[in-house]
Amino acid sequence: MNTTYWVAGGFIYRRIDSIVHRFDARVKLLLTSELVALSLLSFTITELAIALGSTLTIAALAGILKRMGRTLLFSAGFSATIFIIDILVGYTIIEAIVYSMRFIAIVGSTSIFFLTTSPDELEQVMRWFKLPRDLIFAYVTAVRFVPVLMLDALQIMDAQKSRGLEVEKGNIFKRIKNFSPVLIPLVVNAVVRSGELAEAMEVRAYGAVKKPTMLYNFVMKNSDKIVAILSAVLMIPTLYYFLFLV
Amino acid sequence: MIEFYDVSFRHQNGIMALREINLKIETNTLTAIVGENGAGKTTLVRHINGLLKPSQGKVLVFGEDTKKQSVARLSRKVGIVFQNPDHQLFSDTVENEILFGLRNFGIEEKHDRLEWALEFFDLSRYRNVSPMLLSGGEKKRLCFACVLAWDPDILILDEPTVGQDHKHKEKIVLMINNLLQKGKTVIIVSHDLEFLWPQQPRTLVMSQGKIIADGNIAEALSNDSVIKQANLVRPQLLALAIALTLKPPRNVAEAAKVLAR
Repeated sequence: MNTTYWVAGGFIYRRIDSIVHRFDARVKLLLTSELVALSLLSFTITELAIALGSTLTIAALAGILKRMGRTLLFSAGFSATIFIIDILVGYTIIEAIVYSMRFIAIVGSTSIFFLTTSPDELEQVMRWFKLPRDLIFAYVTAVRFVPVLMLDALQIMDAQKSRGLEVEKGNIFKRIKNFSPVLIPLVVNAVVRSGELAEAMEVRAYGAVKKPTMLYNFVMKNSDKIVAILSAVLMIPTLYYFLFLV
Repeated sequence: MIEFYDVSFRHQNGIMALREINLKIETNTLTAIVGENGAGKTTLVRHINGLLKPSQGKVLVFGEDTKKQSVARLSRKVGIVFQNPDHQLFSDTVENEILFGLRNFGIEEKHDRLEWALEFFDLSRYRNVSPMLLSGGEKKRLCFACVLAWDPDILILDEPTVGQDHKHKEKIVLMINNLLQKGKTVIIVSHDLEFLWPQQPRTLVMSQGKIIADGNIAEALSNDSVIKQANLVRPQLLALAIALTLKPPRNVAEAAKVLAR
């Protein structure tokens, strides 16, 4: 479970003071979208290496390289599966490498956004896109609940181990069955907690007015504008190259 | 016997939770661990059944190093009743919940142990009810029953009085006394000093991962700087005794006798 916690930590936002964390959330979303587009349009190992290199450079500037490493290590398992399936269905080794590398590059670039954007900023971005309020609330709450559920899972695991449960014992089917004493309380707690949260929101007048006021609103700084323009300036010829010249 | 030798523990996030703990807890004793939130109380007791292994130093339980033992093997001897019942209840019935530990530890006399636990903790009428449908206090009692059913040599109670009414607090006292009579070792982690006071346990006061006082509850809680550092409020009878410079009475009846003189 500690390994799971270690891997899961790679998907969770932590407040750090870095140049990338200070960017406006919309700029971070733009950078991520550009990197995802770059990964999707790349069809050679060199192009994908450039896309992945750009992602890792931004991650290094954001101080999240180690945590992104965990995410990439986790996705390497899926990437290997993609590689094997591609080979089995008749793709060449180079093509299989490209597809599995592309998966890693997409995971890396989306991680930049989620590892550097707080749930509050995420909410603001979604509001900026004028998404329905209930949908925003449900999504942001789900994101906020991830660390809480992880902590719950660890505590439940400890409690059941103390009652003689050995999850690592037996074959794969036995091991899956061994998890039921952990999963049942975890799901029940999550359902109970969501019910309590709904009541707590209702008593604080959630949904009472159609347009609630907000404490924070987006303010794009000059540095944000410069980064957005620079990245767009770099991206336009890149897109032109991929769409019309390759 | 539980022994801690120079035990320090650092969490994965880098926070030092225990600092150079040296401690011996003799068999067949009652020990209370008190202190403010985050003092390291729960971290300390989790070392006894091997859920946590020390970053430095070693913990011996009945002479065996916990680093070399599995949690399941240690738990046969060391039962922990955790603070939050919702973190452990999962079975379809109360009966199956109690049987879970008995099956895991391969205990033969399951039926007798089950009946004893149901009876002692007032749970017989709920034996076929889902644990999820019990009240908070009943869930807590079920957790006691689950652990005591396999009869561990050492029992650790993490905040046992939370959500319990007076009648069931008395039941916990009765349970502790029974266990002590049977030669067991009981460790209580609690903020409820009023509950602990009449039991007169050996008391360890913790603050910032260290044991800052260790002794009889009256001695441990008499020092003003300890009380201040650990953010504690003295039990009323002790506070009264200190104010009147009397020998601390164990209960109200003793206090009344002293004051009547």
